[in-house]
Amino acid sequence: MATATIERKPFNIAPGLVAWFAFIGLCLLIGLVAAVAVFTRGLVITNMSDLVPWGLWITVDLSSIALGAGAFTLSAVVYLFGIKRFQPIVRLAVFVGFIGYTSALLTLIMDIGRPDRFWHPWVYWNVHSVLWEITWCITIYLAIMVLEFAPVVFETPFFRRWPWLLDIANMMHKLAPVLAILGLLISLLHQSSLGATYGIVKSRPIWFKPSMPIMFILSAVAVGPALTIAIAFIIEVITKKRNISHDVLYTISRFSGLGLLVYAYIKFWDLAAVSYYGRTPAVSNALAMLGEQTPYNFGFWFGEILIGILIPVLIFLLPSLNRKPANLIFGAACAMLGVIANRWNITVSGLFVPVSYSPGTLFHLPPGQYFPSLVEWAVVLGIVGYVLLMLTLGILYLPLFPKAK
Amino acid sequence: MKNKKTKVKVELTRRDFLTVAGAATGSVVLAQALTTGPLSPFSNLKQGQLEGIESAPAHSKNTYRWGMVIDMHKCIGCEYCLRACSATNDVDPQRPWNIVVPEKTSNGYPFFFSRPCLHCQEAPCVEVCPVKATYHREDCLVVMDYDRCIGCRYCEVACPYDARVFNWEHREEGNPFIPTWGIAEVDRRPRGVIEKCTFCSHRIDAGLKRGMVPGVDREATPACVNICPVGARTFGNLNDPDSPVSVVLAHNATIRLREELGTEPNVYYIPPEEGL
Repeated sequence: MATATIERKPFNIAPGLVAWFAFIGLCLLIGLVAAVAVFTRGLVITNMSDLVPWGLWITVDLSSIALGAGAFTLSAVVYLFGIKRFQPIVRLAVFVGFIGYTSALLTLIMDIGRPDRFWHPWVYWNVHSVLWEITWCITIYLAIMVLEFAPVVFETPFFRRWPWLLDIANMMHKLAPVLAILGLLISLLHQSSLGATYGIVKSRPIWFKPSMPIMFILSAVAVGPALTIAIAFIIEVITKKRNISHDVLYTISRFSGLGLLVYAYIKFWDLAAVSYYGRTPAVSNALAMLGEQTPYNFGFWFGEILIGILIPVLIFLLPSLNRKPANLIFGAACAMLGVIANRWNITVSGLFVPVSYSPGTLFHLPPGQYFPSLVEWAVVLGIVGYVLLMLTLGILYLPLFPKAK
Repeated sequence: MKNKKTKVKVELTRRDFLTVAGAATGSVVLAQALTTGPLSPFSNLKQGQLEGIESAPAHSKNTYRWGMVIDMHKCIGCEYCLRACSATNDVDPQRPWNIVVPEKTSNGYPFFFSRPCLHCQEAPCVEVCPVKATYHREDCLVVMDYDRCIGCRYCEVACPYDARVFNWEHREEGNPFIPTWGIAEVDRRPRGVIEKCTFCSHRIDAGLKRGMVPGVDREATPACVNICPVGARTFGNLNDPDSPVSVVLAHNATIRLREELGTEPNVYYIPPEEGL
C-alpha cells in the first residue's frame, strides 16, 4: 500500500509496565478463581450468615459508589454552574465515576444469591423499595456516564476509521449540560438513598434515623472529587506531564476540605442530637453492646473521624500543607479510607446488634459475628485489579485530558 | 428603569360574568359527580363502606385474614411445631422457620416462646424487596415468589422478628424429621433465595377449594397448629368473628410482638398467667 495509513507509534514495553500488568493480572486471576468458587458452591463459602447477611461486599459496593461521586459533582460544577475553569478534569472525573459504578455492579453480582436474575429489578418493579430505586438510578446514571464519556473513547485512533462515530459523539457533547443536570438529580437521589437503605430499617436501632441519607450524600460529595484529584496527581507523577493546572486541583481540594467540614458538622449533630439526646433505650443498649464487644468506637473515632475527616481537612485547608501534591494524595487516601471505614462500621455493626422481639427477659439472639472469609477478600482483590486495569488502560490509550484550545 | 404606573381597569361584561359563573357551577357539579356522584370510583359503595375505608385497615375488606394465637401459658416447649413444620415444608432443621426458645418472665417464672412468621399487615420485608418477590396475598399472608427472588437479603436484614432464612447452599442432605413428623408437601427451595413460613398456604388453598375451613378442618390447617399436643396454637380467619382464632382472641388478653414498630402482625400471643 502506497498511501500512508495512520502511523502507529512503536510500542515500548517497559519492564516496569510489564511488572505492573503482571500484578494486575494476578489480582484479576485470584478474583476470578474466587468468583468461580462462589458461583459454583454458593455463598456458603463466605462468612456471611443469617445473623449478618451483609458484609464486606456491600461495604465495597457502597464505598465505590460514594467514591465515584466526583463525576456528578465536577460535571455539575462545569456544566451547570458554568465554571469552565474545571473543564479539564471532567473527563477524568467521569472516567473514575464509571470505574467506581461498574466495580459496584461487579461486586453486587457476586453478592446476590441469584446472579442469573440480576435483571429482575428492571422488570419486576416495587416502587416502595429504596433498593429498587437505587438499582434504577445506578443503571440510568451509568448510561449517562457512558454518554458523557463516549466522545473520549471515539477520539482514540482505533475509532478514527469510522469518523461518523465522532460526529455523533460531538453531537452528544452538546448534550453535556442536559446530561449534567440529569446526572446531578439522579446522583443526589441514589447517593442519599444508599443511606436510606439503612435509615429506613425500623428494627435496627443504630440504623433507623433520618440523618443517614444526609451523611451518605455529604461524604460522597466531599470525598469523590478528592479521589479524582489524587488520581490526577498520580497520573501526573507517572506520565511526567502536567495535564491539569495545579491551581484547579488545589481549588478542588479546598472544596473537598470544606465539604468534609460540613460532613463533620452533620456527623456531630447526628452524634449529639440523634444518637445521644434523641436516643431510645434500644439505641443506648445497642451502642453499649457495640462498645463492649466490638471495636465500633475505635472504628468511629479513629477510622471515621481522625483518618476520614480530621487529617484530610487539615491537609486540604491549611495553606502550609495544601500546596504539595504528595500531601493532597495522602489526604485523599485518608478521606477514602474514612469513607470505607464509615460504610463498614454502619453495615457490619448495625447487623451485629441482634434484633430483639421476644416478650420476656431471657432470650436474646446472640450478637452477630463476622469477619470476611478468604474468598470474600479474594473477590475484592479481583475488583481492585479491575479498577487498576481500567485506570491503566485509560491512562495509556484514552485522551483523558482534552488539549487546551 | 422607569417606574411605570399601570392602572388595571377591570371590566366585566355580562357575557364574562355568565361564562365564569357557568364554569364555576359546572366544576362544582363535576366535582360532586366525580367524588360521590355517579362518576365516582366509589359510587357502587354504600355510605357505611365509604366511612369504613377511612377507619378500618384496608385488609379488613377482604374475606380472609389468616391469623394465629399462640398461648405461651399452655406451651410446654416440646418443639413438635418446629419438627412438623420442618417435615411438612422440608425446612433445614438447623435453620427452622418456627423457633421455640425457653424464656423467663421478669419475675423469674419460666415459660416457652415460639415464633412462626408473624405475617405482618405492614410488613417491612414487603416494603424493601426490590423485585416484589415477597408480597401480600389477598388473604394477608406474606409469601415468597421463589422464582423471582434475587437473593439480595434486604428482607432478612429488615425483618424485625428474624423470621427469614437464606439458602446459602444447595441442600442435598436428607431431612431427619421426614417421615416421622410428616412428609414434604412443598418443594425444597433452590440455592440463593430467601425462604420463610407460609402458614402452610398450600394447605389453606387446597382446603378452601375442597370446601374446608382452615383452622377447623385439619387438612386445611398449618402443620404446627395440628401437631401441638397441648393446643397452644389456634389458627383461623381473623375477619370471621366465629372462627376459632377470633373466639380465642375475644376471650383472652393478648399481645403482639413489638407493637411500637407498627408492623401490625397477624400473630397474637397469650402471655403466661404469671405475667411477662
